[in-house]
Amino acid sequence: MAQPDAFETDFWKHANLRKVWDDIVPGEPRKTIPYTLTKDAIELYCASVGEDHPLYFDEDYARASLYGGLIAPPSIHILLMFACTPADDWMRSPGTVNAGQSWSYHIPVRPNDVITLEARALDKFIKRERLFVVHDNVFFNQHGAVICSGRGWTIRPA
Amino acid sequence: MTTTFESLKSGDSIEGPKFAVSRESIRLFCDASLDYNPLHLDDDYMKGNFGKTNFGGIIMHGMSNFGLISRMMTDWAYPRGAVHRRLETRWVKPVRPGDTIQPSGIVKSKQATANSRWVLIDVLVRNQVGEQVAAGEAMVEFPVR
Repeated sequence: MAQPDAFETDFWKHANLRKVWDDIVPGEPRKTIPYTLTKDAIELYCASVGEDHPLYFDEDYARASLYGGLIAPPSIHILLMFACTPADDWMRSPGTVNAGQSWSYHIPVRPNDVITLEARALDKFIKRERLFVVHDNVFFNQHGAVICSGRGWTIRPA
Repeated sequence: MTTTFESLKSGDSIEGPKFAVSRESIRLFCDASLDYNPLHLDDDYMKGNFGKTNFGGIIMHGMSNFGLISRMMTDWAYPRGAVHRRLETRWVKPVRPGDTIQPSGIVKSKQATANSRWVLIDVLVRNQVGEQVAAGEAMVEFPVR
């Protein structure tokens, strides 16, 4: 189970193991790992973007709400993308520049959910001398229900 | 609840909270997102060129913009009994330590489908001098209850 304390924060360390633009095959699945999302991880993410809604922090409030319990903000997939992928994933290549993303939200993530990811490169192209890869991703909870799905455009390091 | 689907109009505006960007806020986002790309950490690395681009120093994660817009949308939707269903964004300009950014939105259109009701919202993020740093579109569902 991948947790932040085991997470390699030096993105140079496995750089030589990661695929460069030339090696990335559109359609080929990326390796992913299940991740248990803790309440602490949700709170840390919330702090980083100033999320302060009681649905994420206040159990009594959340229980009485439409959601019936604590949830994570929908944008928690920002964390899940790195939490559910191994150190040699090419999204970690130093110099990977995010050009844009689009995400659709189905159901919220809850504390202690075990999240899995199905991910792949979908497309790659060259535009104005820049090397682009499009990645697409679907996150599921432990019940096999879709949490959210999204697509991102990255400019790859040359 | 002050707004219902029926009373929403094209041109209605939404304003998110201001966010002060610092080296510390960027570092916190690294820890929270596990995105430790040296773009956001390493000044020496950022002195180099990226193809035709030179950023001149560390930059904020593009996904911080995404998170701030998302926060604006959910905080707008929850009290209205609505659900934030989609967000698409693109980054227009890098954001640096010392910048203050603020997301906002403008209702573009609304539409009823077979089983639900939807509002499309143009969103953007501006920096302290009014430059657009991110742009996109959000979709919020107003379920028929």
